[in-house]
Amino acid sequence: MSRASGLVQLWMTPRTILLALLVIGLIGVLAFATTREISRTTTPVVDTPPARPARPALSPVEEAFIQSLWPIHGEVQRSLMRTSLGQILYKTNDVSRADLEMRMKQALATYGRAETSIRALDPPASLRRDHEIYLDAVRLLRESAVEAMKMFKDGREDHLVTAYPKSQAASDKIREVGGKFWPNEFPPN
Amino acid sequence: MIQRLLRITTILGLIALIGGLGRADVLRADDDRDRDGRRPPQVLPSGFESTDRLLDDVERAERAPLYSAWIVESSRFMNVPHRSFQPDVGDPPFVNLPVNVGIIEGPDGKLTLYDSGWKQLAYIFDWNTSCCWDGIRHQLTAIGHDPTQVTRIVLGHGHWDHAGQLSEFPDAVVYIQKEELKQIDFFLHYPVDFNAGHIRAVNTVNPLTGAQVGPPAQACARSPVCGYPPQTVQEILGKVLSGKARIVDGRHEIARGLVIHPAFRGHTYGSQLLQVNTARGQIVFGSDTYSSWTGIRDWLVANIQQTDTIQQFLAYEKCYVLTSRLNSFNNCVAAHEPTAYTNDYPLTANWWNIPNGNCSRAAELILAPGKTTHVPASPNKILCVNSTPPPHPISP
Repeated sequence: MSRASGLVQLWMTPRTILLALLVIGLIGVLAFATTREISRTTTPVVDTPPARPARPALSPVEEAFIQSLWPIHGEVQRSLMRTSLGQILYKTNDVSRADLEMRMKQALATYGRAETSIRALDPPASLRRDHEIYLDAVRLLRESAVEAMKMFKDGREDHLVTAYPKSQAASDKIREVGGKFWPNEFPPN
Repeated sequence: MIQRLLRITTILGLIALIGGLGRADVLRADDDRDRDGRRPPQVLPSGFESTDRLLDDVERAERAPLYSAWIVESSRFMNVPHRSFQPDVGDPPFVNLPVNVGIIEGPDGKLTLYDSGWKQLAYIFDWNTSCCWDGIRHQLTAIGHDPTQVTRIVLGHGHWDHAGQLSEFPDAVVYIQKEELKQIDFFLHYPVDFNAGHIRAVNTVNPLTGAQVGPPAQACARSPVCGYPPQTVQEILGKVLSGKARIVDGRHEIARGLVIHPAFRGHTYGSQLLQVNTARGQIVFGSDTYSSWTGIRDWLVANIQQTDTIQQFLAYEKCYVLTSRLNSFNNCVAAHEPTAYTNDYPLTANWWNIPNGNCSRAAELILAPGKTTHVPASPNKILCVNSTPPPHPISP
C-alpha cells in the first residue's frame, strides 16, 4: 500500500501532469482530425451514369410524321395482341369461337383503316423506308387476318396455322420500327 | 298422412338445399377454380401452396434423378438507377443488371431452359444503355451444349426480356401459366378513365392529356402489365399453334425432379418458379419474382413494377421452403442480380466470359455426379462491355 502511494507521488509531479495533459490534447486533436477526414471521405458522392450517346435530333417534319403514326401504331398493336391472345385462349377453351371471330373482324377492320391512314401519310425522305416497313407490316397483318377468318366459314382451324407466319413477320417489323420511333414504349421491366 | 307429407317435403327441401350448394355456379370462398364471368375481375387465383405440400415436393424430388445447371447472360442492362431496381438499396447509385437464362440438363442429356432471353436488338441501339447481347443458340454452343437438345422452355414470365428467342427452338415445348396470358388480355381491355392511363398493356395515349400525341415517358414503368410487345405474344402463339405449348394452371410437375410452382403476382400475374433437383439440393429459379438474390436473402422488395409485394414475399418463402434441406436461399436463382458472376453470389461464382459471346457471361451452378465440367481450363474472367449488337436487318 505504502509502495503504491510512493509510486503515485513519484509520478504526480507538475512536470509529468503537464506532459500527460499535452499528450491527451494531442490525441484529441488527432482523433478530431481523423474523424473529420473519415466523415469527409464517406460523404455520399452523387454519382451520375455515363451519358448515353444522344439520339440524332428529329427535324420538325420527322417528328410530325412519327406523331401521326403513333395513334395508328397503338390501334394496330392492340388489335394484333387481341387476336394473338384470342387464338391462344381459344385453344385453351377460355375464349369462345364467337368471341374469336369478333376479335378477328374488328382487327381486320382496324388493319384496313390503318393501311389507308398510313398510305395517306407523307413521310420525309429520311423515314421513307420505315414508312414502307410499317405499311408492309400492316398489309401482312391484313392478309393474315383474312386467312384466319376462313376458319369461320369452313371450320378448319389449320387456317390459323397458315395465317401465322405473316402475323409473326409483321410483329417483327412493327417492333423494329416501334423501337426506333418510340424507344420508351416498352421500358425495362 | 300429413306427417308423411311433411317428412317428404322436408327431405326434398334438404336435398334441394344440398344440391343447390353443390351446383357449379355457386361461388364459395374456398373455391379457387377459375370461373370466367362468374368472379369479379379482381378475385384471382392465388397460386397458394402449403408448406407441407412444398416439403412433399422436396421429398419426392430427392428421390428423382439429379440435374446439372448453368446460367447464361442473355444481355445486360447498364447503369440502372439502383433504387428503381431495389427501393431500399441506394448504394451504389447505379448498377448493371444481367438478364439470366437458366440451362438445366437432365439425366437423358436433354436441356430445359428457364426463360429464353432477349430478342429485341433494337432496344440496345435505341436506349444505348444495354450491352453484351448474344443469341442463345450461340451461347449454348459456345459453352459446350447442343442447342438441338433443348426440348423444354419454362417461361418464368412473359416479359420481352425473358421470353424472347422462342422461335429459335421450334421443337421445344414452352411452359407458361394461363394466368400470365389472361392477364395481358385483361389489361388490353382495361379502361383508362380514372387511372390516367397508368394501368395498361400497350402504351397508346399520353397519360397526362389523354391525347394520342406521342409516347408517354415511362407511363407503365410502375406496372408489370406493359412489358409485352405484340412480337413476344406472337412467339408464344407460334408455339401454341404448332402444338408446342403447355398452358399450365398452377403447380405442374414437368418431370421427376423438375417442378413448376406458381408465384402469381410475385412479379406478373402468372409468374412461375422452377424447382430443380441437384446435388446441392433443390435449386429454385425465380425469374423476376426474385429478380435480386440479395433481395431474397435480405427480404427486400424488388423493383416498383412488382404487382404485389406480399405475393413476392410469399414467393421468397416458397424458395426458402424448397431449399430448406440444403443451402437455403443460396439456392435461389435470380434473374437480374447485380452481383451475379462474382463471388458475392456464391452460386454463380464459377463463371467465365462466353467465347465470342459479345462479353456475355456464363456460370456453372452445379453438375450431376459423373458429368464433365463445361468451364474452360483457363476461363476468361475479365469483365468486359460491348454494346454493339449483331446486325439485324429487316427488309420491307
